[in-house]
Amino acid sequence: MRRVVAAEAVKLRGLPAIWATAGGTVAAGAVLGAATASHPGAAEVADVLGATVPFLQVGTILLGVLAVATEYSGRQIAVTLVAMPRRLPLLCGKAAAGLLFVAATATLTVAAAGGAAWAVLARRGEAPEADWWRLAGMVAYLSLIGLVALAATVLLRSLVASLVVMEALVLIVSPLLATATEHARWLPDRAGARLYLPAVEGAWGWEAGGAVLAGWIVVAAAAGAVAFLARDA
Amino acid sequence: MRFARILHAELRKALTLPATLVAAGTSVAASVALAAYNAGGVRAAIDSGRLDTVGYTSPVEAALSATPLGTVGAVILGVVAISSEYAVNSTDAGGGRQVAATLAAAPGRVAVLGAKAITVVLLVAAMAAVALPASLATARHIIGSEAPAEPVGTIALRAAGVALYWALTALLALGIATLARSGTLPLVVLIANSSVVSFSFLLSNLTPLAYYLPDLAGMRLFAQESWAMVDDALDPVTGGLVMGAWALGLLVVAGFAFARRDA
Repeated sequence: MRRVVAAEAVKLRGLPAIWATAGGTVAAGAVLGAATASHPGAAEVADVLGATVPFLQVGTILLGVLAVATEYSGRQIAVTLVAMPRRLPLLCGKAAAGLLFVAATATLTVAAAGGAAWAVLARRGEAPEADWWRLAGMVAYLSLIGLVALAATVLLRSLVASLVVMEALVLIVSPLLATATEHARWLPDRAGARLYLPAVEGAWGWEAGGAVLAGWIVVAAAAGAVAFLARDA
Repeated sequence: MRFARILHAELRKALTLPATLVAAGTSVAASVALAAYNAGGVRAAIDSGRLDTVGYTSPVEAALSATPLGTVGAVILGVVAISSEYAVNSTDAGGGRQVAATLAAAPGRVAVLGAKAITVVLLVAAMAAVALPASLATARHIIGSEAPAEPVGTIALRAAGVALYWALTALLALGIATLARSGTLPLVVLIANSSVVSFSFLLSNLTPLAYYLPDLAGMRLFAQESWAMVDDALDPVTGGLVMGAWALGLLVVAGFAFARRDA
């Protein structure tokens, strides 16, 4: 199993698109953190970063999608399956390696955004405080939404299809539904947002939101695993 | 005559891409569904007499609040028209790219890109011609006779504005995808920016110049009072022209790059 994870990590490491996406996300984190913090009303680092997460999640989603979709552009998946015919361990190895990259990117991104926001706020003469738990929640959310994207791509097998589905879900459908119905809180990004948004009376706590997001990951991973085991690669 | 044949070829290629049909079909279905859902909310508010719970009662607003869903469809139509040319074939089939065959058949590169642009506009127009009347009729039917009456001319003008916004967005997508020779970048940038929380919106907090970015410039083509940040946006005609200039400018740059560099 360790060799499967290592092999998948080596493959990811060799993809220029992965490095470009990870670097782009971290850079976007720094720029967005500074830009949001320079808004006159901004005072708290976690609040500033909370406003940037909806944009930054695009980066980790793209990472999750790329980790799987690159197997299917060309026929690398055939080579992969010759080398590692047991599909379930292969999928777990891929998810573990993907999560490693996504989590590392998420950590660096939140650090960059937080650092930039802190610097801007400090220069303005405020003594910014940071709620470390909410920052950790952001890292967790960005990593987990990337994992959802990875699982969705296993199911869809296409970069364009899964990128469009995931982006449309978190950026278009979720905000549109949220204005129309309170049931939108069950969507993965809305539920996951409880991990990093301040606690609100009457809304879910971070435990419930995180559990719903975990439920989405389980469902997406199960659907992807069943499809991957049952169909021709 | 030659150009007509290139256009015909591009239309057939675009129409036989699964992504084109899925994107257009899903956008239409999702737009109508959201229009119906919004109209249902308005209907419930009217029935219970609690009009303060909804931001509008007009079926036109209920239908057009689904505009961003169509924008996503338009982005995909614009992107796949060119990104499909650069997708690498299976190595069993030589690992080639369709763009080589396309340019062997039609060496005039500017004509190829022009035909692609016209194809994209035609596809978006077809999508709008189905999606907009269907969502407007659905919303009107659900809200019923209590809805404030609006003159047909106004409704047609707003629907035309939405269709124009979609077409220009699709052309922007085509331009970026041609420059990038891949669909990933325009999909990321344009879908994120067609959303309610766009980069441009964030920038507009820092500088009013952000209202000259293509997506914000054109927003008054479809948005009215019930939309966020519409107050500071450019008026529809200026905004439409600014957005059109962006689309045209990007296509010219993309055409130059497409004609000059190795495919």
